Amino acid sequence: MSQAVGYSTTPPSSSSRFSLQSITSSSSTTHTPNPPSLYGSSQNPSSSTINNANVNPNRRESARSSIIPSQQGSSSLQQQLFGSVGGGGGAGSASNQQQYLNILDRPLNKTKAFEVALSSWAFMFSEIVSYSQSRVDSVTDLEKRLSSLGYEVGQRILSLILLRNTQTSNLKDPKREHRLIPILQFVHTQIYKFIFGKPADGLERSSEAEDEYMLISNESPLTQFISVPKDMSDLSCEAFTAGLVEGVLDGLDLPARVTAHWVGDQYPDTPQRTVILIKLDGKVMDREEALGK
Amino acid sequence: MTIHGLWVISKAGGLVFSRSYSDVLPPQPVNTILTLAGILHGIHAITAKLTPAPIPGVPISGLESFEAEGWGGKVFLTPTGTKFVVLHSLPQAGLDDLLRRIYEIYSDAVMKNPFHTPEMPINSSLFETKLQTLMSSVNA
Repeated sequence: MSQAVGYSTTPPSSSSRFSLQSITSSSSTTHTPNPPSLYGSSQNPSSSTINNANVNPNRRESARSSIIPSQQGSSSLQQQLFGSVGGGGGAGSASNQQQYLNILDRPLNKTKAFEVALSSWAFMFSEIVSYSQSRVDSVTDLEKRLSSLGYEVGQRILSLILLRNTQTSNLKDPKREHRLIPILQFVHTQIYKFIFGKPADGLERSSEAEDEYMLISNESPLTQFISVPKDMSDLSCEAFTAGLVEGVLDGLDLPARVTAHWVGDQYPDTPQRTVILIKLDGKVMDREEALGK
Repeated sequence: MTIHGLWVISKAGGLVFSRSYSDVLPPQPVNTILTLAGILHGIHAITAKLTPAPIPGVPISGLESFEAEGWGGKVFLTPTGTKFVVLHSLPQAGLDDLLRRIYEIYSDAVMKNPFHTPEMPINSSLFETKLQTLMSSVNA
């Protein structure tokens, strides 16, 4: 207990992550003989051992924060962001550690069991849209804002996918597409599959212009719950996806202007059909011509 | 076995959505439905207060259904206080399931829509189409 008091005198979370780890490592030694009054049910001796050993980390957390009340808010947030504190705290929770691995410590090429529920995404995207909406004056600006957010995502996803692809092929023959059509196919299959779990529903070349390509999706998981009010009917929240595609293409040195268009009114079977229109930069077309077939 | 209509009543007792799915019940002007929904909200609150022996830890639900000659209504209360009221013919089976499906559609199409303001009238075409599909499968 004397050590626990010493810990309480440390300044509360100067640098979030590392101070927290030092807290947990010190607490793993001090906490095992926990003051029984901190646990509600530990009057019962048979349950108290269970409580100390592997009750979920929130219990430990709340027990600790009752010693230092000021820590509670920040530590629970850290817990969400950086995984379980109790996992770091040891105390026979190896399975917990596996389950709540710190997001920064996760292996980059492992995706199983780290998926995010679609609902959480939908709620977050909904908040993103309404946040952005409260800071713009027009539909065009809102689309621009969503698109620039997507651009950031696209750049990161590209790096991640290229890294994972290289790692799965055992660092042999690292591959990065450089020609137009393979790049577009890479976006159509690999990028879309990574984000949405399935490839895009179509990749077409515009019949009107040579430098325009279209990625078609009949129902995007990103925006499937959104219904745009009538007074903003030309808004497509798929602008986020468009920005994402633009980020990926830019990362592959394929500058383009990418926009999203809702065409569901022409397709009664798929009312949410959206076209991601890729208008390639002039220099890309010149380069393609120079490289030849 | 028909579903005549659906009302969605907000936490504060305001009618945020109402649709008619059959022409059995005489159509009412919007203001009448608004009043009726308000009255139902009040009755629901009173019945919840009147529960003689509330079970601790279980939310008190209040009025759950009402019946009239040939038709009835079933009330579904969500944990956040929104009420779904289905007006239906008698007898009607599978209402609990239907109400849960409606709740699911509501959470998907209304709550995940950034253009919806909570406690305000529902203005989502997606919600209406999904409900229409559900109701025509039930009424068929």
